[in-house]
Amino acid sequence: MNYELGQGLVNVLLLTGTLTLVAVGFSIVWGILNIINIAHGAFIMVGAYVTYWLFTLWGIDPFLSIPISMVLLFIVGYIVQRYLINYVIRAPLLVTFLITFALEIVIINLATVFWKGDFRSVTTAYSGAGFSIGEIQIPYVRLAAFVIALLLTGLLHVYMTYTKQGNAIRATGMDVDAARLQGVKIAHTYALTFALGTALAGAAGSLISVSFPISPTMGGLYTLRAFVICVLGGLGSIPAVIAGSLVFAFIEVFSGVYTPGLKEAIALLVMVLVLIVRPTGIAGKAFYH
Amino acid sequence: MKKKVGLLLVVIAILAVLLSACGGGQSAGQSAGQPAGNSSGNGQSAGTSSGGGQSAGTSSGGEESCTVTFGAAVSLTGKYAKEGEYVSNGYNLYVEEINKQGGIQVGDKKCKVALKVYDDESKADRSAQLVEKLITEDKVQFLLGPYGSGNTYATTAIAEKYQVPMVEANGAATKIFNRGFKYSFAVLTPAPYYLRGIIDLALDQDPNIKTVAIIAENGAFALEVAGGAKDYAEEKGLEVVYFDKYAKDAKDLSSLLTAIKAKNPDILLGAGHLQDTLLIVKQAKDLNLSPKVFGFSVGPTSPEFRNALGSDADYVFGGAQWTPELKIQSDDVFGTPQHFTELYEAKYGETPPYQAAESAAALIAYQKAIEAAGSLDRKAVRDALAQLDYMSFYGKLKFNEQGMNIYKPMAVMQNFPDGKLYTVWPKDAATKAPIYPFKPWDER
Amino acid sequence: MKILGLEKFFSGRKGWLWGLFGLFMLALAVLPLFASGFWLRTLTLIFLLAAMAEGWNYIGGYTGYAAFGNVAFFGIGAYGTALAMLRLHFSFFPALLVGVAAAMLFAIVIGLPVLRLKGHYFAIATVALATAVGEVADYWTDFTGGSAGLTLPFFDPIEYSGQFFYYISFLLVIFGLWLTYFVMKGKMGYSWVAVREDEDAAKMMGINTTWAKVSAFALSALMAGAAGAIYGYWNTFVLPEEVFKIDYTLQMILSTVLGGPGTILGPFIGAFLYYILITLLVFFFHVGAFHETILGVIIILVMVFTPQGLMDFLSGKKKLTLSSLLENIRTHKV
Repeated sequence: MNYELGQGLVNVLLLTGTLTLVAVGFSIVWGILNIINIAHGAFIMVGAYVTYWLFTLWGIDPFLSIPISMVLLFIVGYIVQRYLINYVIRAPLLVTFLITFALEIVIINLATVFWKGDFRSVTTAYSGAGFSIGEIQIPYVRLAAFVIALLLTGLLHVYMTYTKQGNAIRATGMDVDAARLQGVKIAHTYALTFALGTALAGAAGSLISVSFPISPTMGGLYTLRAFVICVLGGLGSIPAVIAGSLVFAFIEVFSGVYTPGLKEAIALLVMVLVLIVRPTGIAGKAFYH
Repeated sequence: MKKKVGLLLVVIAILAVLLSACGGGQSAGQSAGQPAGNSSGNGQSAGTSSGGGQSAGTSSGGEESCTVTFGAAVSLTGKYAKEGEYVSNGYNLYVEEINKQGGIQVGDKKCKVALKVYDDESKADRSAQLVEKLITEDKVQFLLGPYGSGNTYATTAIAEKYQVPMVEANGAATKIFNRGFKYSFAVLTPAPYYLRGIIDLALDQDPNIKTVAIIAENGAFALEVAGGAKDYAEEKGLEVVYFDKYAKDAKDLSSLLTAIKAKNPDILLGAGHLQDTLLIVKQAKDLNLSPKVFGFSVGPTSPEFRNALGSDADYVFGGAQWTPELKIQSDDVFGTPQHFTELYEAKYGETPPYQAAESAAALIAYQKAIEAAGSLDRKAVRDALAQLDYMSFYGKLKFNEQGMNIYKPMAVMQNFPDGKLYTVWPKDAATKAPIYPFKPWDER
Repeated sequence: MKILGLEKFFSGRKGWLWGLFGLFMLALAVLPLFASGFWLRTLTLIFLLAAMAEGWNYIGGYTGYAAFGNVAFFGIGAYGTALAMLRLHFSFFPALLVGVAAAMLFAIVIGLPVLRLKGHYFAIATVALATAVGEVADYWTDFTGGSAGLTLPFFDPIEYSGQFFYYISFLLVIFGLWLTYFVMKGKMGYSWVAVREDEDAAKMMGINTTWAKVSAFALSALMAGAAGAIYGYWNTFVLPEEVFKIDYTLQMILSTVLGGPGTILGPFIGAFLYYILITLLVFFFHVGAFHETILGVIIILVMVFTPQGLMDFLSGKKKLTLSSLLENIRTHKV
């Protein structure tokens, strides 16, 4: 097989894992709460820095710090939703849109002030190591990130399908009033959902920090990517997120080979086209609603 | 209810009055220092026609109050906070040292040096706003540059408008100087020269080198660096097998590096900023992309490069405007690069990056020009700058007609396996011989 | 159906309200005789922001479509003008018309398909388009000069450039106010508000909603495009990273929302309050690094407590009391 094509396909696959984790939390929050969380990328950035600091200050392995950044961001997300967004959740979308936008600004600004604006990276003893199949290189770190991302996505699926809380979240997403009548505590459930989203963002951040340089402004790009993925895949289910990620990774990697200076533009234009032609996304219908 | 409405509008009106009062107060101060009653926004005549007004203002208070004030908008926060810090460190170190010696000789008296630095938040529009403030409100006499080609581009236009000299040290793009400006000068070597040293070095090590791949961040500075390197490589008979730009703030360059690996070049040169440099090295390792020479315009010579990459930094070359090891003897405040390094380390606790040295050199250029002009008149100092030819601790300070310093060669540094950076080029300044070729990733 | 705070302005209080406003404008008109170059620059920035906000108000405030990509019009206006000046050797004013026309044309071409989208989808489609246009400008070296941008000549005579750009931006703001007033008085303004209140009902009433939305979008582009044209010539260069910054979109939305979306004076007042506040914070209180945090907190407070902006209080529609501030929370919490 052609080297560029083969390596390209491997890159697509590896990228799909990370992107799925990036987008799945965003998708849940959008699907259940009908909020576009612009600050999603900022939470990813915080997760990345949690890993960075744990690694730099105490030498904690980046993969071991994933649960820590998840718990931390879960708490942050819960507070943000419970004590801020819950108060305006039924306001016109511009309100929640701008509030999460403002949150993003605040988080990035504080990160820039306290951690400086420069790029940092987590370099472990094993980073860069990998194995090869013929000419094609597969770095261990990215493979591990891929596996962990899919594992977490799988766990999320199990949680949403088989636990009482997961069912409560889905019920709330389908019909708030019916869920309330069933005894679901809406305020708590909303906060829980948002917290799940931010926790997944934190995990994504931790994984990203292992393979890519991080900086306070890294997040905006991921928010946009998450959105594009949700549009491409369609809102409402975890498989849709994976499908969207795969399509996105494909565009990203192969447009990167031919026009490296023009990466996001192609994916963005594809998204706008999909939106215009088929507003529910490639994979189909929204079922959270 | 009516009252409240009124109240709010009154607040707005007060704001407006305040504004005009502010402006009015300022312009009163301005015209006091100037002969002609020129209106505000027209402060340029302060520099040209009324140099007398300026120096009168500085000398009237007697010897003690003679001060030369420099102003700069530097990125202390935001994207270029780190680099901006080096720049302001360089400025401050010079000011401290020159004031220890009593200041700058202006005619027959010594003037203390004062420095006003604002934070431009790494934004070009803020940078422009601040420079306009430095000129029209703070009344600084001379301007120093910000960090980066973009902000320098924006601010030189304002300096030109008011005819205030600006000696900048951190904007290497030639497009800044292709506009026919008379008041802008740069002490650093321009962008197209950045990678020449690495190409020379590679050919010196191995005349059989044939192919080179060049990649650049899609930015004015980096594209000029890459374009200059391409021209030079072709001039030297090398074949440029890959030449492309990548998106600014790219997060993943594995596609690009995959394409390069397919070409198997002898030399890989990158033009960009520290963050892309880190990304490229990391991902080159992931892909086991190991050219014989691996070099970048900026990045490998800064301490962050080693901190971020650890031993993966080994063998990578970087172009440097200046290194602490250069063998130069000068009669400026610092004397030698080594003495500058000692002072910098004592004050800031780290090895000085070249950004700090070139920033200090911008002030040395001013000092020598002011000494030659014998006055603080902006026009006279500008003319003296154009004539300047001086060997500083940083290297030769001499400007061509456009205001660029094309007379100072670039140095090349290499990251050695002992964790240190050594100057390996040009040969007469080298502290160690370069390690060639690059040790392939899979043999480490 | 409420049509902005317009009636309020022309009811009882109009005399001294407009009088005060007139005084304020008069103060602005004579300010260049006193103010320093720094204040001229700052106020010119405010005018350009106010003009963009007035434009955003058409699509976001009156028509109710959360457009998040208006910076694309700003950038296209700047590029169109710069290219007309450099390639076609137009002088500034004809070039400005080229830039504005390009921005409006883009708005119409893009608006026809994209304005069919609703809510979040519309918002992000506009963000995506603005980002994509910026990237293309950054990449397409042969046409746009790529990331090195375009360099424009100085305004001549250079010593009056501060005043020139001040007044031309000021005129643009006044034009925007007049345009708002003129449009909202007529049928077009009525159709915009009808779309905002209930698009389906508007359609049933026989209003051409497509035309309503596209016209609002195109007039938004007019204001932002003109602002971009002036901005580029003022700065003497056009760089993609400068003129396609999403910050500008955010600032125009914030100004509008702060002042009062769907009102004539709201965006103008909002732009002033916002930018004066930022300038004071940065230049006089030296919050420096933290000013974006403060900005973010202000946005959050405004969105939680007065999402209809300050105009409601100014025009006397609402009393500024604790209970009116909590009204938004009461109606919109879980």
